[in-house]
Amino acid sequence: MSFFAIPWLEITLALPLVGAVVVAFFKTPTEALHASLAVFTAVLLSATAACFQQGAAVWGHFAVDDLAAPMLPVLALLHLLTMLGTAKSRVSPMFCVRLLIAAFVSLAAVTSQTSWIIVVLLIVGVLVPFWDLLNRGRAVRGYLIHMGLFVGLLVAGSQLEGSSLGYGLLLAALLLRGGILPLHGWLPTLFQGAAYGTAMVFVLPLMEVLAAVRLLLPSTPEWMLNAASVLCLVTAVYGGGMAIVQNEVRKFFANLCLSQTALVMFGVMLHTSNGLTAALCLWISSSLALVGLAFSVRSLEARFGALSLREHHGFYEQVPGLAVCFLITGLASVGFPGTIGFVPMELLISGSADQGLWVSFTLAIAAMLNGIAIMRAYFALFTGKRPTTSVSLRKTPLERVGIVVIALVVFLGGWFSPSVVSSRHHTADKLLEPAVLEPQP
Amino acid sequence: MTDPTQLLTPLGLTIVGMPVFLLGVFFAVFLTNKHLGEEWIGKIIQTTIAVSLLAAVSASGIMLWNRVAQHPISLGDWVITPHYHLKFEFVLDLLSLSYAMLTLVLCAVIGAFSTRYLHRERGYERFFVLFALFLLGMVTASLSDTVETLFAGWEMVGLSSVLLIAFFHERPSPPRNGLRVWIVYRLCDVALLLAAILMHELNGAGDFDHLVGDKAWPAHDPLLIGPHFTVLGVLFVIAAAGKSALVPFSGWLPRAMEGPTPSSAVFYGALSVHLGAFLLLRVSPVLDSSIWLQVAVVVLGLVTSAFAYLAGRVQTDIKSALAFASLTQVGIIIAEIGLGFRYLALLHLLGHACLRTLQFLRAPSLLHDHHQLENAIGSRPREEGVLWEQKLPLATQRWLYRFALERGYLDSMLEKWVARPFVALFRGLDKLETKWANLLDGEPKAKEAPRKL
Repeated sequence: MSFFAIPWLEITLALPLVGAVVVAFFKTPTEALHASLAVFTAVLLSATAACFQQGAAVWGHFAVDDLAAPMLPVLALLHLLTMLGTAKSRVSPMFCVRLLIAAFVSLAAVTSQTSWIIVVLLIVGVLVPFWDLLNRGRAVRGYLIHMGLFVGLLVAGSQLEGSSLGYGLLLAALLLRGGILPLHGWLPTLFQGAAYGTAMVFVLPLMEVLAAVRLLLPSTPEWMLNAASVLCLVTAVYGGGMAIVQNEVRKFFANLCLSQTALVMFGVMLHTSNGLTAALCLWISSSLALVGLAFSVRSLEARFGALSLREHHGFYEQVPGLAVCFLITGLASVGFPGTIGFVPMELLISGSADQGLWVSFTLAIAAMLNGIAIMRAYFALFTGKRPTTSVSLRKTPLERVGIVVIALVVFLGGWFSPSVVSSRHHTADKLLEPAVLEPQP
Repeated sequence: MTDPTQLLTPLGLTIVGMPVFLLGVFFAVFLTNKHLGEEWIGKIIQTTIAVSLLAAVSASGIMLWNRVAQHPISLGDWVITPHYHLKFEFVLDLLSLSYAMLTLVLCAVIGAFSTRYLHRERGYERFFVLFALFLLGMVTASLSDTVETLFAGWEMVGLSSVLLIAFFHERPSPPRNGLRVWIVYRLCDVALLLAAILMHELNGAGDFDHLVGDKAWPAHDPLLIGPHFTVLGVLFVIAAAGKSALVPFSGWLPRAMEGPTPSSAVFYGALSVHLGAFLLLRVSPVLDSSIWLQVAVVVLGLVTSAFAYLAGRVQTDIKSALAFASLTQVGIIIAEIGLGFRYLALLHLLGHACLRTLQFLRAPSLLHDHHQLENAIGSRPREEGVLWEQKLPLATQRWLYRFALERGYLDSMLEKWVARPFVALFRGLDKLETKWANLLDGEPKAKEAPRKL
């Protein structure tokens, strides 16, 4: 059987679901962890293989098209790193099941070619954090109100598809899902209430970007997109500013995500070839950089519990690998040269110059604020007097694998920027063509 | 017979490639979870810098012998879309090779010095990783022929600088000061980023030769006139002011002295502090686009110089005194650039960097040197020089003293008018957000159950 004859797309989509069913029967966390890691690794391999079948792999309503091809391995890697970064003490079989379901939702949504399936998957995705919050006995009312509104707007918008009102409702729904101001209140609360891993796989795949690209472009009225782009711009700066003043690591991370998501959404809302190319590139780089950053934070939390940014903890001497990981991924997320984020951020800021220099200036300010927030958090976490501990806090073998993977992705990813930009530019142009993007299988 | 000028491209790539190799070695060591011994680190550092320096000297020799004024080295178009063009390109010319050789010579000296100075210091390896990053950043910025290449080097220099300020990170003040410097750097990097975008808007590319013509530095095409070029010039000046600690960003300079002496020498005595001046030299034709811009640059340089002179007079530690002495000269170099004396500014920059590095490196043994001197001459050295301040009225002397002691109130002004309102605004917003979230959740955060692990 030749490589191309193997149904990689079907395998990629089926594996997480089958894995979730199997893992649900495990009794011990260790078994669940090992099985989940095996499934996620297999998903990553099959997703990478499916990526090479771009244009050829079609399965019912799902296909590996230009948009989906690079995102499949990225999303698979994101989920694998989330699993790798979860401490054994915090794993439960149900946590693994939730992560596997979330992986299925993301992978299925990105390959889905039909609007209603995307809508359904977005709604299913909302249930995963809800399940987690309930399971942990945390307050869910705020999350429910926001996500109830999201689902309502999404369903109403998809019912009125083709009309201005429909697009408006869909746009509002996706802005809410992305945490764009003023409907962003659920995001910091989610990071504080839910398990870190669950919040990550809900927020970091940036499904709202996918939905915006699939459901809104290119037909949404221009004035709506313009208004949304202003909101995104404001959110990017707001998130950066808020990240700087946070005293808790989780809220810092939530606000950083808010700002980064807003930057990507801004690129989409520009609905220009340049802006959309930048957004699609930034989607990849931001997701990977932020998952790396979260990886370090979670590993620290596993050792030292909830972390504050009020004082200096001095963790560098204990876990230098995590310090390096934190710094390089944080800097990659703000577009530091030589990392995976440099070219996308340059593209976004340059691509926005058509809208006026003040727009580029605002984006640069947002990136600056995020950079300051990251350095402040780095200094707070990794500098200061080293804590004295009676047990070894050195990184575990699984963490070491995660750090190596992240470091390679952050630096080597930068070298692949030209080909990625070229393919994303091609995709962006296709997405902006005034054609109906609903090929039936 | 092969034309020797054909060797210029490989030599230029070797100059940049060796620091990349150096960082690559450290990266591989990190990935494999190994540690390099001090001896190995010293050898690798010295070898890579030596090879890079040899390549730079050879390139200079070939260019002088063959009367080649400039030699561009293109790494190809990194990113091309119909609307955007990102290119990494280097250039070998008088300015770039002079600064690159200065960098390599001083880094070789500092590298050799540091292997002994930091012997058995915790963080020895970390120091040299950051040193390698700095070296790559400096070489990249020196040889850059596009604003993106310059920006990449510029950022690497900034990051390594900040992390070296926080090198002794067990004490609270180094990281705190490092963060302050980072904030100023990031603020001024915004200006450089905007300048890059404006260059793309004006020329469709970030190449310096598109901007000022393809003649070898310091010659350039006829003057660039227009408000866009003035704005571009202002952005470059802001970027340079941040990196070179010009007024009003001078407050970070004494804070940067928290790092180890070798890094202080190479950063704030020699290379990093001159990077702003180097930038202005590279884009000096843009400064010529407006007489007002030139005047502003001269005034900025002179004001910085006067301020640094005053502040330097009241410093009580040798490193801060040297830092302000450096700044005094940097101010004069900036004024020279504003006046259009480019060769003079370059010569001044090169000579000053070497002198100041030597002074910084001798700083830890200052008392020992003084004792030797006193023993040799049998008495205390006589204080010489004109203390012109003593001729001023007493009230003015006191005011100047306080002004100098408070470093021109620059830090407190930035803190009072920028930092505090910013933090107050966002803390207020954070409180509002928390109240709103609690309202929606229906219960105050304080009463929530402890976090489930």
